[in-house]
Amino acid sequence: MKVIDINNVRKIYDETEVAVRAVDGVTLSFDEAEFAAIVGPSGSGKTTLLNLIGGLDNPTSGEIMIAGTNLSNLKSSELIDFRLHNIGFVFQSYNLIPVLSAKENVEFIMCLQKWPKAERDIRTFELLNAIGLGDRINSRPAKMSGGQQQRVAVARALASRPKFVLADEPTANLDSRSASTLLEIMEKLNHEEKITFIFSTHDARVVKMAHRVITLEDGKVVSDDVRE
Amino acid sequence: MIRSISWKNVWRNKSRSLVVIVAVTLGIISGVLLVGIMKGWVEQRLHDAIYNEVSHVQIHNKEYLKNEEIHLTVNDTAEIIKAIEDLPGLLGWVKRTRMIAMVNTSWANTGVSVYGIDPGKEKHVTEIWKRMVPGAGEYLDEAKPGNILISDKTAEILKLKQYIITDEVINLLKSENVPATVLSKLDTLKDVRFRSPKDFREALKSELKKKELDKFGNLIVGKALDYRIRNKVQITISDETGTPVQGTFRVCGIYKTTNTGFDQATVFVNANELAKLYDGKAILIHEISILLNNVENAGLVKEKLAGISPDNEINTWQELAPDAAMMNDYMVMYYIIFIGIIMLALAFGIINTMMMTILERTRELGMLMAIGMNRKKVFSMIMLETMFLTLVGAVAGMLSGWVIIELLGKTGIHFASWGEGFEEWGFAAIVYPVITPDFFLFITIMVIVTAIISSIWPARKALKLNPVETLRTE
Repeated sequence: MKVIDINNVRKIYDETEVAVRAVDGVTLSFDEAEFAAIVGPSGSGKTTLLNLIGGLDNPTSGEIMIAGTNLSNLKSSELIDFRLHNIGFVFQSYNLIPVLSAKENVEFIMCLQKWPKAERDIRTFELLNAIGLGDRINSRPAKMSGGQQQRVAVARALASRPKFVLADEPTANLDSRSASTLLEIMEKLNHEEKITFIFSTHDARVVKMAHRVITLEDGKVVSDDVRE
Repeated sequence: MIRSISWKNVWRNKSRSLVVIVAVTLGIISGVLLVGIMKGWVEQRLHDAIYNEVSHVQIHNKEYLKNEEIHLTVNDTAEIIKAIEDLPGLLGWVKRTRMIAMVNTSWANTGVSVYGIDPGKEKHVTEIWKRMVPGAGEYLDEAKPGNILISDKTAEILKLKQYIITDEVINLLKSENVPATVLSKLDTLKDVRFRSPKDFREALKSELKKKELDKFGNLIVGKALDYRIRNKVQITISDETGTPVQGTFRVCGIYKTTNTGFDQATVFVNANELAKLYDGKAILIHEISILLNNVENAGLVKEKLAGISPDNEINTWQELAPDAAMMNDYMVMYYIIFIGIIMLALAFGIINTMMMTILERTRELGMLMAIGMNRKKVFSMIMLETMFLTLVGAVAGMLSGWVIIELLGKTGIHFASWGEGFEEWGFAAIVYPVITPDFFLFITIMVIVTAIISSIWPARKALKLNPVETLRTE
């Protein structure tokens, strides 16, 4: 079943004298439970494409359908609500809320979605145990390593069972051991939760574990390899 | 969750938040103190105006207040007195003779209003008997004829407030630990009578060093004070034919209220003795004063008595002491002005702090919007954060202010150096600050309004953030 359908999407920045085609005519689709990596050199349009898929940015032309909804038809406030209920985000710099504990960070999205407390608690403990941080529920981000913070960020992204998770260079700030642990956890959750993961990455380890690798150059898809 | 994040965010940068909290606390304390002092003054002035000067309602002949002539007495007194005695909530009433007079001693003279009163009844309506200067005689007594009650200020004008250093004064000063070196310098002033505070102070100045005068001057002046109780005072009034008539009275006591203007213009004698002076066959009634159990009923009483005699004028305390009434009426406006100015100043500090907070958390706010926190919630979070920051300071300020007011309400604040100036305007030199719960409610509302207004700009700034751009920032 298709979760994301991208049809001839372009993103052109024309704020300077020379227009920059960050994404140039990309057509892609992602199915449920895919584990896909978007790779390419710096400036190839990976982050821009993720921002467009995540509804954080608007395409100059083309359309992006998420589970049958055309993002271009949504107003700004509707887009925020759509992201809340359909998309999980993992950022390069973790971006946890520093004043909240690991548990509170994970349940934050569920609070925004007004989940009942009992359900929130079950889901939070389930995820924190799954990422191996069941014993750090009350730790604040400042008291955790980068790898641990990123694992909490993954748990937060998955908490409300989104249709897919977008991860922008999730291992870029991690040492190799933390990166491996994170990837194993993400692959396990992808398998268990049947949630699509899409990464932008430079990291060869991520590429190696991905089931599908899409290569971008100058905003265009130059290859799309599905691995068995 | 939003409330919890907002509260935790307040304590994220503790020192910065504490600066704002302390500023709010100090601002509120100064507001509470300022309003407490103001309210204390106004309430004291109101109390003194009603209980020493004008009561709640007064009745005069229609022409009397314009032209205080002896024949302008209250009309239809029998009906009026009957109506007064039937008033519900009546605490007391008195009738008085009131005449313009010249009083003089061997050394000075001054113009006053002389009141012929019934001292026993007067005690139920006015509190002058409670304002007697300790050790300076006693209140009027109908059983003791030939007496006059004058004020401290009148005594000073008539040079009956004298100063003399006697052996007894020296002993008193010794017991107050005044050094022998200072006491020895007072020898040259011993047994010399000074007829004014100014003369006595000048004499002290010539004998003592400045430091000694600063330290012991007030004590020496206080101990050497010698009111000339039982001194003769001559009163001159005009009788019904306009002929000046004179009588001699002896000072029985000295009173002192917080209103020097009232004090210097008011002396009291027994009404029947004043009647003898103008040779009246009966005691003339120029003024009837009524005291009620509820200040709010003054207007109703006025309405009730107004129809009895069209030739009388009935005034409430608001009309007789318009300064006190005006201050009372405008008290709420003073609250708003004082607290408004303080809040305005604080608002700038709060806005500045919140703007810095937004600037520092640009990336985090962008992330929150990216993951699905809507604008309403972002706005609420920043508004709550501002509110918490301000309310913590406000609660601390109100509590501290309340404690300070409670303490000062017992000890009073002594504006000794400005005392005379204040008292000339009818305000006490010692003020007992007062704060009522409604003021705290008012200040809480003002703080909440200030916090909401102060949060609007930073919150709008946050709402304008673009998640994509903020997430790019390092």
